[in-house]
Amino acid sequence: MINFEIAKLKLLFPRLRPYLLAVLAGFGVVGVLITLMGRNPLDAFSTIITVPLGTAHGLTETFKKFVPILLAGFAYAIPFHARLFNVGGWGQLLFGGIAVTIVGLSLSHSPPPLFLFVPLLILVGFLAGALWAVVPAVLRAYFGVHPVISTIMMNFIAVYLVNYVASTAPWAETEAAFAGHPKTLPLPTEARLPPLGIGGHAGLIVAIIVALAVYFLMKKSILGYEIKAVGANPTAAQVFGISIKRVTLLSLILGGAMAGLAGAIEVMGVHGRLIEGMEFTVGASLGIFGILSALMCACNPIGLPISAFFMSMLIVGADAMQRTMMIPVEVVFVAIVLMVLFIMMLGEKMKMR
Amino acid sequence: MLEDITTFLEVTAMSIVPYALCSLGIMLGARTGVLNISGEGAMLMGASAGFLGAYFTGNPLIGMLLALAAGGGLGLIFAWLSVGLKLNQFMMGICIYIFGMGLADFIYRLCFGVRVLPPLIGTLPKVAIPGLSQIPIVGVLFNQNVLVYFTFVLTLVLFLILYKTRIGLETRAVGENPRAADVLGVKVIRRRYVCVAIGAAMMGLAGAYLPMVFTGTYTPLMSAGKGFMAIGVAILGSFRPERILAGSFLFAGAEVMSYRLQLGTGIPWQFLLMLPFIVVLIVMWIFYKRAEWPAAIGIPYSRE
Repeated sequence: MINFEIAKLKLLFPRLRPYLLAVLAGFGVVGVLITLMGRNPLDAFSTIITVPLGTAHGLTETFKKFVPILLAGFAYAIPFHARLFNVGGWGQLLFGGIAVTIVGLSLSHSPPPLFLFVPLLILVGFLAGALWAVVPAVLRAYFGVHPVISTIMMNFIAVYLVNYVASTAPWAETEAAFAGHPKTLPLPTEARLPPLGIGGHAGLIVAIIVALAVYFLMKKSILGYEIKAVGANPTAAQVFGISIKRVTLLSLILGGAMAGLAGAIEVMGVHGRLIEGMEFTVGASLGIFGILSALMCACNPIGLPISAFFMSMLIVGADAMQRTMMIPVEVVFVAIVLMVLFIMMLGEKMKMR
Repeated sequence: MLEDITTFLEVTAMSIVPYALCSLGIMLGARTGVLNISGEGAMLMGASAGFLGAYFTGNPLIGMLLALAAGGGLGLIFAWLSVGLKLNQFMMGICIYIFGMGLADFIYRLCFGVRVLPPLIGTLPKVAIPGLSQIPIVGVLFNQNVLVYFTFVLTLVLFLILYKTRIGLETRAVGENPRAADVLGVKVIRRRYVCVAIGAAMMGLAGAYLPMVFTGTYTPLMSAGKGFMAIGVAILGSFRPERILAGSFLFAGAEVMSYRLQLGTGIPWQFLLMLPFIVVLIVMWIFYKRAEWPAAIGIPYSRE
């Protein structure tokens, strides 16, 4: 039995090796950059690691980031298995947030029963994200348009939509708009996600449920099998009676729904409203970190929670490093992209061998 | 009315440059079979490097050279990943886009930190071409900054190289049928590296145009999707330089109109700014399959 476990570990190590190497290389680059800036890299590393993991506040912040990054990661990962690159997590996430704000505000005068309000809004976010992915999905399925281009266009459309909703009656807060920092009225407290102690807010529960659901979708369900079949060999899949159009539509729209959930949870759990500027600080950054964490684990549904947590940890750590040591967060951002590139390169090398 | 048309032409000609340069850069790589979608990242790198170069030396030319180098460097990394290591072009495009975006911000922050008032550079002066700039109405096309002229000349040069010289023929062959080109003695891999790098350098210059002409300073994400719209322009123009210039005119015109329409009409400005992106989606819907794609696009080449 013990021998068996050791054998398993021995098998696991070569598979983990590229990840360890990449993480080391990434930290190496950060170290060099920080040294060049004339700071002590060891201090920076200890801040990056101890603040998000070693302090209660840091851990809470990490979980708060983890939830939307994991969901935005699934938004990229699910369609990826059908070889569809959904770079639109950013826009789908924003549209989820927009929908939740609009529905939440219009229901605030005649709120539904308390136990229904939050689940209803989460459903709204899910559907809104799905809706935002319909255009790229249809363009791909029927007109062949590569989703990278169409989803990015949808991102920018959502960016301006956020600004519109945040600065227009009846949703906008008038004083804020006059002051030049448009934002919407706050969502009623009943529509907010309740806090969850050290785990941040109740969005964590949603994220865990979704992660389990995606695992079953990809590993146990027929649709998951079809998605992977189309990704591996579309011609063969078609011969065996799988409709490529159907898989394209479903996987992209499901991916959009994941990002929509992320946006809904971010608005309901953290900000409580739409704020101008969110389109970049929340939309772009979470969408992009979602893609990066999905790329980091080759879109594996079990690996994604790990890489999303790692990513959230780095973000919170980098923030702390910027505050205490005045080192710009972009250092860590650049290093993360390098790590992802290293992992993909090493992964490819191993495949060739 | 006449006044309006003149102003429209003048501003549109000025706004063509980022679309056209970036799109020509995409075209150059695509003609060898490598679609580099990281134009947005290269533009941001170019904007950051170009701004810093012009700011610290006071010479916009040095800024432009730095922007070319920054874009070209990013293009070389992209070429190494997608041509050399044969990784998926679209995925690498996304990674390099994110990388360029992060690096551009990082370099800027490294030099300036956080400032309340942004550092400024003087914008490029307009150079009137004697004689031509006196023509009524279209004369405004000949009273522009140097990069506008450069873009027009570059389009012509690229057209002549691609369609009238042996080098151009070889380059197109690499994108259509790399095996045949290889048989005839064209170094496929090297040609791809060179074209992708030059193309990305042009994207970098397109980025430098933004602080040098429009804003006078670098702000994060300042290219606002232009690098991606340029992909739409390249597809709309079927990867041909002269059609790309025409396509850029369409997009620049739409952009100018969207600013113009904010005055007087009741349409919220946010919807007007969405317009160019919606135009791209419609262009994709109609032209994506009709465009004359180089046959080898997206397929890594190996001799085996």
